Amino acid sequence: MAAYQQGDRVAAEVLIERVSPQLHRFFMAQVVSRRYADDLLQETWLRIHEARHSYRPGEPVLPWIYAIARHTRVDSYRKVRRTEIREQQVDILPDPAQGTGSSPPGPDLEALLGTLPESQREVIVMLKVSEMTLEQVARATSSSVGSVKQKAHRAYQKLRQVLLEMGFGTAAARMD
Amino acid sequence: MTPQDMDGILAQAANRTAPQSDNSAAIARAKASLPRSFGSVRPMRAAWAFVSLFVAAFAAVALCGAWALGVRGLPVLSLVQRAVIFSVVLAGACIAAVASVREMRPAGGTRSGPIALTIGILAPLVAFACLFQDYNFQNFVPEGVKCLLAGLACAVPAALLIALILRRGFILDYRAAGITAGTLAGLSGLGMLELHCPILNAPHIMFWHVAVVWVSGSGGWLAGWIAQKAKST
Repeated sequence: MAAYQQGDRVAAEVLIERVSPQLHRFFMAQVVSRRYADDLLQETWLRIHEARHSYRPGEPVLPWIYAIARHTRVDSYRKVRRTEIREQQVDILPDPAQGTGSSPPGPDLEALLGTLPESQREVIVMLKVSEMTLEQVARATSSSVGSVKQKAHRAYQKLRQVLLEMGFGTAAARMD
Repeated sequence: MTPQDMDGILAQAANRTAPQSDNSAAIARAKASLPRSFGSVRPMRAAWAFVSLFVAAFAAVALCGAWALGVRGLPVLSLVQRAVIFSVVLAGACIAAVASVREMRPAGGTRSGPIALTIGILAPLVAFACLFQDYNFQNFVPEGVKCLLAGLACAVPAALLIALILRRGFILDYRAAGITAGTLAGLSGLGMLELHCPILNAPHIMFWHVAVVWVSGSGGWLAGWIAQKAKST
């Protein structure tokens, strides 16, 4: 990132290659279509380029990038207003009994996350899909670690309920 | 179901949802969107440097405003009143300055604009309630409107100066930045009024002087909302 700030295009490309898959997963886990996620990825990198002076060398780069990414997503969401598609996603939960091809049977991430409120979904995606730490998520969302923990806890409570309704972990629940 | 069971299910679902291989086109597009060549940029200065800059802007505008309108309020205040009022206003300005700096940088820290505005209104209100006991409502509106307009006339240039400093960073949420900038500018107007206004009526000071911070903070939010709207269309 420091080399990028000094005008090194190769460093910028390396950064894009390293971080983009993670960012793409972040968008894919929350948006409706691949094309939309691709657009968000491009828009995020344009903003990162514009904001590159605001990164301070030595500080963790991931929260800085994710802070820009989540605002890009929110701004785009406000612009496009694809609420009706989102609602459709929440309604259609896949049948857990149906496995897809060779992959092990399990719930679809989008359907699971679709049951959560926006702020909780974002925290779960950052923690579980992007594999960020609590501190990194707190920085990226401009909130405190306690607030992130609380959102994650509430999301887990809701997800547990949804998973039990879908028939997952019933054996474990009975043992409790 | 334990959290570990759920971690496993979520990890499995995440792997199934996001295929690793087919985002190369999107990555190539992101790379291509960068300009062919671009110059170096100087990283932003440390947070304390910007906090100092904001507080200096707040103080400079308040002092210049009081100098232009006449320092008639300071001589009528007792030593204790001076110490308490200016300490509270300065502390409020420091909190608003820190909140503004946090808005200048992505992942800059916990968002605290609304807290800064609340403190900027409540702290002077409590201080004034403790310091002034004369509850006389004579000429409450005519004198009050004059003070409100004078305070806002001071807050506007302060806000412009603060906006210029804010532009040195990269603002993600214009409304939040507007609240912090408006609060700081309003406190500058309040500071000017404490130096300028010789009226020691509790209702006058508690309502009209503090209203400068309230109106300025709300105006900042509105300006931010308009800026955000303009940016997203």
